[in-house]
Amino acid sequence: MKKIFLALSIYLISFGSLSALIEVDITRGNLDPLPIAVSPLHVDIKSVEYKDVKVKELGNNISAIIEKNFKNTGLFNPLKKEAFVQKPDIAHLKPRFEDWRLIKAQALVTGKLLVKDGKLKVEFRLWDLTAAKEMTALAFTTTPSNWRRVAHIISDKIYERLTGEEGYFDTRIIYVSESGPKEERVKKLAIMDQDGANTKYLTLGNELVLTPRFNPTNQMVTYLSYFRNMPRVYLLDIETGMQEVVGNFPGMTFAPRFSPDGKKIIMSFAEDGNSDIYTMDLETRVVERITNHSSIDTSPSFSPDGKFIVFNSDRSGLQQIYVMRSDGSDVKRVTFGKGIYGTPVWSPRGDLIAFTKVRKGRFYIGVMRVDGTGERLLTENFYQEAPSWSPNGRVLVFYRETKSGAKGEGFSAKLWSIDITGYNERKLSTKTDASDPSWSSLLSK
Amino acid sequence: MTFKKNLKNVFLVVFTTLILSACSTGKKSGNIEGDVYTGKETVKYLASGVPDRVFFATNKSSLTTASRATLRKQATYLRKNKKLNVTIEGHADERGTREYNLALGERRANAAKDYLMTYGISGKRISVISYGKEKPVNPASSNLAWSQNRRSVTVKVN
Amino acid sequence: MTKSLIYSLIFHSVMILLTVLTLPFMIREPIDLPPIVSVELIQISDKTNIPFAPKARKIIEETKKKEERVVSEQAPPAAKAKEKPDRIPLPDEKKEQKQIVKKKQNPEEIEPQIRQSSEFEKKEIVDTSQIAALIDKAKEEEAVKKNKIDKLTQSSVKNSFATGLSLSEEDALRAQIFGCWSVPLGLPYDKDLLVRIKLKLKKDGTIMKSEILDHQRMNRPGQKFYKVLAESALRAVRLCQPLKVPPTGYEKWKDIQLNFNPTEMLKG
Repeated sequence: MKKIFLALSIYLISFGSLSALIEVDITRGNLDPLPIAVSPLHVDIKSVEYKDVKVKELGNNISAIIEKNFKNTGLFNPLKKEAFVQKPDIAHLKPRFEDWRLIKAQALVTGKLLVKDGKLKVEFRLWDLTAAKEMTALAFTTTPSNWRRVAHIISDKIYERLTGEEGYFDTRIIYVSESGPKEERVKKLAIMDQDGANTKYLTLGNELVLTPRFNPTNQMVTYLSYFRNMPRVYLLDIETGMQEVVGNFPGMTFAPRFSPDGKKIIMSFAEDGNSDIYTMDLETRVVERITNHSSIDTSPSFSPDGKFIVFNSDRSGLQQIYVMRSDGSDVKRVTFGKGIYGTPVWSPRGDLIAFTKVRKGRFYIGVMRVDGTGERLLTENFYQEAPSWSPNGRVLVFYRETKSGAKGEGFSAKLWSIDITGYNERKLSTKTDASDPSWSSLLSK
Repeated sequence: MTFKKNLKNVFLVVFTTLILSACSTGKKSGNIEGDVYTGKETVKYLASGVPDRVFFATNKSSLTTASRATLRKQATYLRKNKKLNVTIEGHADERGTREYNLALGERRANAAKDYLMTYGISGKRISVISYGKEKPVNPASSNLAWSQNRRSVTVKVN
Repeated sequence: MTKSLIYSLIFHSVMILLTVLTLPFMIREPIDLPPIVSVELIQISDKTNIPFAPKARKIIEETKKKEERVVSEQAPPAAKAKEKPDRIPLPDEKKEQKQIVKKKQNPEEIEPQIRQSSEFEKKEIVDTSQIAALIDKAKEEEAVKKNKIDKLTQSSVKNSFATGLSLSEEDALRAQIFGCWSVPLGLPYDKDLLVRIKLKLKKDGTIMKSEILDHQRMNRPGQKFYKVLAESALRAVRLCQPLKVPPTGYEKWKDIQLNFNPTEMLKG
């Protein structure tokens, strides 16, 4: 008996000492942006000139775009080039990690490029400086005039490797360009790269255009046009410039969006002053009525799996947000907060809905879970609305208008973006005043 | 001497401020009732004594007593001019989301249209169009401007 | 006296000469090519370029996007899990009959009325996929609660065994790592974010060996964020070297486990 007890206790003691591994819980860290060094890409001396591309400066220009993209995320802190210790070509072969660590960088981007035979070849590497190893390496070939896109694609790859999420740099934003006095605004459809470069106008401004939205492949845009003073939903092929009216409705159609498969357009149609939600199949032209209510039902947006629709309606008396199945059944009100709610947009991840809220004369952009819980208001202002998601569901772009004076002076409309954490609010650079932004999906996918 | 001058100035400033504030408050209470504009500042006329527009309360499309009176005048005028067709433009102020405002403008224009029809004007003579918040008549960001912009306007087409 | 000075001078200049001569070699030395992990060759098509004047019809050549992969010798291919997060729709099929008014539109017809052409019954599958589950949030919250309870029991067990470091020693170490750890932003705060790293330390607090305990999770589809998180934790540990360890009791702390979990921080 005693023996057994002794054996047991010895066993227990040894077991105890075995599991006495010290554990320390680390529950805090710093949320400072990650310090990253983007070394200018080394331009191969065998490179030859190509049209109006400044080949010699290409290495600097590409790294500058990458840096700007990173800075704009608010998640990274690109370090100043003056502090860089190694030449681009040497660094790309094998960086001296100690030196880069010395300037407090945790990650390093290096690369080289060659322009030859009408082709641009770019190679880049991402280095983990603390672990002293390569994290990813990629090479691209394309036409040299595509160099900005190369910079964006590299940014996307690095972003993906360092955050675990897809990037959103190789994307475009379509919006309404505005000019002229407030009473007679001239509005044109415009498209630009996510960073504000390459602005192009898709309409001439002869008629009022509003609310453009991309289809999933970014080749088509649906929008509202007042062509011949008949406000109707139109479809525009970006490549060919072909436009057509969507359906043959006897009244105003508006608030269009594509379904996630791109086959349908969902929109509002106003019949005798009452707006309801309809879909039209672009191939079969079959129109389906989704809501039938004497209230205003508008701003519909599909869930990414296409099974649900979120929209706003004033059936309760004030504008609120509702979710229903895509056939119109099972309508559920999801917002019950004080104030009015509009412009719901389902996130590409499917887990959140972005919206505009108006309360006590102030406008908020916010996100909530799809059942209406967990409301988070991200930004408050005099007037802002129409959020649109970045393809990775991490950033919202929206437009903001300023208060104007007695004669309309001081009025402006600009695009802004904000992280869904509520951090990093930022004005986007557009050539003119701008509104109604819609973010494309990744172009290189 | 300078003291006196200063005093005079102060009095002048106080006096003008008083006058101005009296003026502005007078305007407000006189021209907006509840939430609806009742003044004549932006109003045009289809014919002598027939105003072209009616005003609405925030987020509302119901017609006030004054609006009904205006629309009855329009109906009488339209009955007299049988060949005349009109478009009713519905508008909203800038304090709502764009798409909802388009729907709201449509509803306002239709409210006016329906009222005209109850007074015997054929629906075929009336078309409606909504501009939402896109065409403010008063570009200011003020309660007065917004009340003037919440409107439906009857426009002759031929 | 002068002799020794001369010796010293000669000796020093030789030393300087040697350094000057060898230093460039030292610099040049690392040039031997590092093993390239993997290089993906991507052809970027011009497909998505917008023609300048949209109204002028322009046919864009269909450039195919090619993705070649050049993988070198020892290459563990760069993480390229393109799978979507594990969304498994449960096709719990419940049939529901519904009448829907469908309107067919004829684009040629200018009749200002939408005609009602057919009325038919439509079968509908009621799904319980993720989004449906989200609308029905109850389950999720229950899961979170459960998670919390798990964590509590875990840490209380730990404390009873934690005998190796005094409280202040543990705090010092913790504070040191707090400062080194750049928590990746954009983590999904409703997922399990615990990263456990086991370290073998030298007496001076530098790291001999580090190991991520849930290693296999890093490469699972939909767990990319976990890999990023684990890497950030490893970076923190390396950045902090040498760790602030007590001067004595090496045997007790030479093996140590760090449990990184930013959940509370992200929520707060």
